[in-house]
Amino acid sequence: MGNLMSTSFAPECTELKQKYDACFNHWYTEKFLKGKSVYNECEDLWLDYKTCLDTHLAKQGVKPMLDEARSEAPFENGGVPVEKKN
Amino acid sequence: MVLYFHNSHSFNHDFPTVTLAYFNRYPNPYSAHVLSIDTIDIKFDKEGRLHQTKLILKEGRLPLFIKPILGHNGLKSWILEESIVDLKKQTLKTYTRNLDHTKIIRIEEYNEYEYDVVENKTLNKVTVLFKSGFKNNGFGIRNRIEQWSKSKFGENLFKSQEGMKFVIESTRNRLSAGNKTRI
Repeated sequence: MGNLMSTSFAPECTELKQKYDACFNHWYTEKFLKGKSVYNECEDLWLDYKTCLDTHLAKQGVKPMLDEARSEAPFENGGVPVEKKN
Repeated sequence: MVLYFHNSHSFNHDFPTVTLAYFNRYPNPYSAHVLSIDTIDIKFDKEGRLHQTKLILKEGRLPLFIKPILGHNGLKSWILEESIVDLKKQTLKTYTRNLDHTKIIRIEEYNEYEYDVVENKTLNKVTVLFKSGFKNNGFGIRNRIEQWSKSKFGENLFKSQEGMKFVIESTRNRLSAGNKTRI
């Protein structure tokens, strides 16, 4: 963390991302972890950021493999990997 | 076949510190290969657990013996991360896997961070699956890739733990300065 902030894969979205991340960190620490909020209070910032991401995800062709991976629902077993016998 | 890797580690810090550090773990001095991280989804379930989906872009590395086959030198790799924070149970579960290059190797990593109130520390258990997608095992290539990835992962795990420790320290400073300044 420090004073450095991470960037978005799309440079055009980095500013929106950093605004959202700052909001998330504040909300997570001051509200969520204290049991005061189960509502994303940074949703407006996230939606702007997400709109930017969606545009660039489509351009880079990442969307199909992303959708496929997400449909596999890894947490079905409560986040515990199913070990197959070899 | 599939190879498995197991490890556990504990952080001498509470749940807020460790989880906040986890979500802010990049960049750190040990993460030069991580190019970006984005939050592509965030939601709550009926039990009030926080679900997030992130997309990470890393600079990948491949074993020397694979280069003649694929002709790649450096390559970028997209990683999907799903995480769930359960505040009541004081647990954070994460799942990451690579999205591309799965024909060469598919790496799935499961992490669980659980706060131990008696010891005041957070235990991190990790299980990783390595599975090469090569259809045939000519020259033992599939097994070699899985073995290489597993041993490489062992080396890299140390770096990720050092990276987490570094971020935990800056997170702690922020949390203690916390009520005065916005994080």
